[in-house]
Amino acid sequence: MNAYQSRQARLGMTASVTLFACLLLSAFLLPFVYGTLTAFKDKDQIVASATGSIFPMTGETATIDGTAYPIYEVPMPDGTVRELALIAGRRNDSTFIDPADPTATPIEWEGRWRQLEQVMFFDPKFGNFGEVWNGVNFPLLLGNTMAIALFGVVGTLISSILVAYGFARFPIPGKRLLFLLLVGTIILPRQVTLVPTYAFFSIIGWTGTWLPLIIPHFFANAYNVFLLRQYFMTLPRDLDEAAMIDGASPLRVLLSVIIPQSWPAIVTVGLFHIVFAWNDYFEPLIYLLGKPELQPISVGIQRFNFIYDQQPHLIQATAIIGLAVPVLLFIFAQRFFMRGVVVTGVEK
Amino acid sequence: MSIFSPDVARDFPGEGTLDKRKSRMGILFILPWIIGLVAFTILPMGASLILSLTDYNLNTPTEINFIGLDNYVNFFQDPIVGVSLGATLKFAVISLPLAIFLPVLLAALLNSEFLAGKRLFRLLFYVPYMVPVVSSAYIWSGTLNTETGWVNRLLESIGIAGPNWMYSIDWIYPALVLIGLWGIGNAMLITLSGMQGVPTELYEAARVDGASYLRRFRHITLPMISPVIFYNLVLSVIGLFRYFETPFILKGPTGDPGNSTLFFNIHLYKEAFTFKNMGYGATLAWMLFLMAFTVTIFLFTTSKYWVYYSSGDKD
Amino acid sequence: MNKKLMRLGFGGFALAAALAVGPVVAQEPVTVTWFVGLGAGGQPEQIEAQNAVVEAFNASQSDIVLEIQIVDNEVAYDTLSTLIASGAAGGGQAPDIIGPVGNDGSNAFAGNYLDLTPIIESTGYDLSQFDPAAVESFRQVDGALVGLPFATFPSFLYFRPGLFDEAGLNYPPQEYGAPYVMPDGTEVEWNMETLREVGMMLTVDANGNDATMEEFDPEAVEQWGFVSQWNEPRGHSTLFGASSVVDENGDAQLPQAWTDAFNWFYNGIWEDHFIPNAAQGGSDLLAAGNAFSSGRVAMGATHLWYTCCVGETNDWDIAALPSHNGVVTAKLHGDSFRILNSTDAPEAAFEVLTYLIGEASPTLLAVYGGMPVNEADQPAFFAGLDERFTQGVNWDVAVASLAFADSPNHEYSMPNYLKAKDRIGAFQTLYESTPGLDIDAELALLVSDLQSIFDEVDG
Repeated sequence: MNAYQSRQARLGMTASVTLFACLLLSAFLLPFVYGTLTAFKDKDQIVASATGSIFPMTGETATIDGTAYPIYEVPMPDGTVRELALIAGRRNDSTFIDPADPTATPIEWEGRWRQLEQVMFFDPKFGNFGEVWNGVNFPLLLGNTMAIALFGVVGTLISSILVAYGFARFPIPGKRLLFLLLVGTIILPRQVTLVPTYAFFSIIGWTGTWLPLIIPHFFANAYNVFLLRQYFMTLPRDLDEAAMIDGASPLRVLLSVIIPQSWPAIVTVGLFHIVFAWNDYFEPLIYLLGKPELQPISVGIQRFNFIYDQQPHLIQATAIIGLAVPVLLFIFAQRFFMRGVVVTGVEK
Repeated sequence: MSIFSPDVARDFPGEGTLDKRKSRMGILFILPWIIGLVAFTILPMGASLILSLTDYNLNTPTEINFIGLDNYVNFFQDPIVGVSLGATLKFAVISLPLAIFLPVLLAALLNSEFLAGKRLFRLLFYVPYMVPVVSSAYIWSGTLNTETGWVNRLLESIGIAGPNWMYSIDWIYPALVLIGLWGIGNAMLITLSGMQGVPTELYEAARVDGASYLRRFRHITLPMISPVIFYNLVLSVIGLFRYFETPFILKGPTGDPGNSTLFFNIHLYKEAFTFKNMGYGATLAWMLFLMAFTVTIFLFTTSKYWVYYSSGDKD
Repeated sequence: MNKKLMRLGFGGFALAAALAVGPVVAQEPVTVTWFVGLGAGGQPEQIEAQNAVVEAFNASQSDIVLEIQIVDNEVAYDTLSTLIASGAAGGGQAPDIIGPVGNDGSNAFAGNYLDLTPIIESTGYDLSQFDPAAVESFRQVDGALVGLPFATFPSFLYFRPGLFDEAGLNYPPQEYGAPYVMPDGTEVEWNMETLREVGMMLTVDANGNDATMEEFDPEAVEQWGFVSQWNEPRGHSTLFGASSVVDENGDAQLPQAWTDAFNWFYNGIWEDHFIPNAAQGGSDLLAAGNAFSSGRVAMGATHLWYTCCVGETNDWDIAALPSHNGVVTAKLHGDSFRILNSTDAPEAAFEVLTYLIGEASPTLLAVYGGMPVNEADQPAFFAGLDERFTQGVNWDVAVASLAFADSPNHEYSMPNYLKAKDRIGAFQTLYESTPGLDIDAELALLVSDLQSIFDEVDG
């Protein structure tokens, strides 16, 4: 096989793999597209989309004497199709009027108006975004969320890396039991620990502040420790043992040997925490009850989810605005995924 | 191998003093977690253990009695316990294999040297995981609606009558699996970060030896990422015991249709919060803990047979 | 190295601790917390009005500081449970006042309400301003008076004149006792059977066939005749007469009228197709659960509070509810505020409560859509509604419906209330989502299950 042929084969492979990924992705994102399109509709358009076009469409209307009438494509007895305004729909015959000549005698038409095609135009409601921007104090909510997420991410990264390092590399008495206990703490559902935890934070006076949402993360999170420990254990010991022989302290080893090899995992953990903080709802809600000025975006979004009258278009619009920040962070984080390989590859 | 045996001796035979220093060091490193454990976990757990020995009901707030193990006796006579464990098990059979294998396959695809635009694909597969719950709840009940949902409209356009996803006992689990797969971005990313950590020269060496992609995947990638797969497995299994959010958002604590979504954790919630039976709810929580913990211990004992750590350690 | 570590840890701690800025001012006035979310109160204009009421109250006096906590309804029950339970555990922060909340919502926290009788006596609060029956409706079985009348929500029939015009049908009567005029001019009694017939004529598929026609395609319905909106089964069946699933001995029962009702509803969904089933009701076509507001349903039986959510197109009016066996039953909702018995300041809480149902009530009732108990306040209330709904709704129907209130109330207490309600809810999902049921067998099962649920607490 010569170089040209192998390049051809490579190109073919790339095309088919990428095409497959595209197909998979489109199925995967179908619900997301549905949600995104909803963000551009008003309530009537959502109802209309249920049976009609999936896009935000609005029917053309003709306003006659202050009332707007929908326009349909009406097949006339002479074989032509005219665009007429429906002024009185009935089951088997209807009255239309020519919007170009509203003073003319109304046209009586035999047939079912429901079977006619309505004249529609593409009409996305960009105003939804303005409405939620004004309805919810986004700058405040985003600022609160950022602060809670950033303090938390710093806390969880520092503590989880230390703890995971301890579990991965040190001979601690009863380590297996301790580690199982750590994993075991994941098991207890939040509904169970909620009441005692709330009572505890309430007694020490932390409710109504961000502290319950931030401080616990400085004491390592079991998910993160488990993940990081798994990762650290895939790293061969030769490098850190060599460093130790050179007299490096354990912390030095962590900082200059372990962490540089672990960026993909560390970035993953950081990203998870931010996404978690972004969407965590019930805890911020109850700890910040009655303090709207401290609440994060997850609680703010819920404001359009009223008891009876849901506003799906506003919920979706809010969600999309709220997504912007984690998406940007993800794009930024991707750089570290590429870098991880290189470091590991070179040093061994 | 016993899980509970300290592994100091095995790792460092005959190095007494270094041993002690090292283990002191280790304890220091895990200290933050131990403090957190005592402050934020042991306390609530202890409280719920005490609660489980009482008949505390929010509707009779002034009558709290210690009733010994009555709640635990009740647990074994509660017909809904069987129903809810059955639902959890049935759902596990369908969803667990997918939860373990699909992230690996997806991560392999997104890590493939033949994929153009990797970064964009990774982002887009991860996006649904970031969608807030209130938004995805609407999205899914809309998309899977029998009458007007996109999935059924699509099926209809190719001549298939779509199922009654949300209201049929036969289709509710597939529906829940679909919704669960939507959040696969999380496990995919973890697996991907594992794959990123595989030293590239291992592949190069294998390539020089003429190993095919599948062989390389089977003999290098899979063993090298087995710690991450193990992580996903343990978390998925625990996640099944705790399975709550999705069925709760779609169906509340009703268990509809026909108790099929009355998963163990939903039963727990329903007892504690809907029926205000805080005492029995705490009992269910402790039983959940014991069951899931047993399974977790079992998973850890199996890990030595199939999880490979380059550092030479064992679980 | 370890010091460095410690610094890192404590640095974060201190930083976060610094964020916890709370006013450390010694407060003399009593703080009263008002928890909103169990019923109405979450919509923007309601939030605004409630905040204004709180401000006005705090400005009016200096002994009490009123604080408001507004929680989305979906999590309000869990939140309140958490607050009450942690309060009992010593982390005391349960709110003092909850509401507005109806009978059903307040049953969820039965056992936690303060008996107002001693405070009413000691403060000399004037009960004679209320209809005695209305006051008595807040008395518990144990004799405690746990609420005072505030908002009344009669029920009636919302309908869309445009859809009746399109079908060439006359509107439903707007006076109780008046007949319905069929298209051929004959007058028939406005009863549930007539509603069924008219409802079927108002149910149309994509081709324009109505549900009475042979060509009608039940798979492609685009407009329905009737919905009993946002009611639970005991509410649906009350259209056929007021009753209860509890008989005078405290046993489970199902009155004949309610058996008729569930058969009527079941056939309406699966045979006659003029009532949407669960999947249709949840679809975007019917506004994902707010069916009448979609404009695709001709008639909706529900309460005055539905003015919250009826939608922006003002093509609707209200009419009389039909009769069954010659009797009209228009079930009634009444919302009020309650004081939790864990409160530290019952007197202050009572002062707030009387402010909310007194001075603040015009502001609050306007946004909650609740009819004032006091007749003299009603014209102003309806004038306010007319500003929002410019089509000219015939509110006389709403007032007239009060005379047909259900007794016993459909939310009447049951033994083991929460479990019994859960079982009834499961029955609703079943019949709204499953074709081909033997509905009488399911009803028999329901009664026997309810009996065992009742027995759990009796025995």
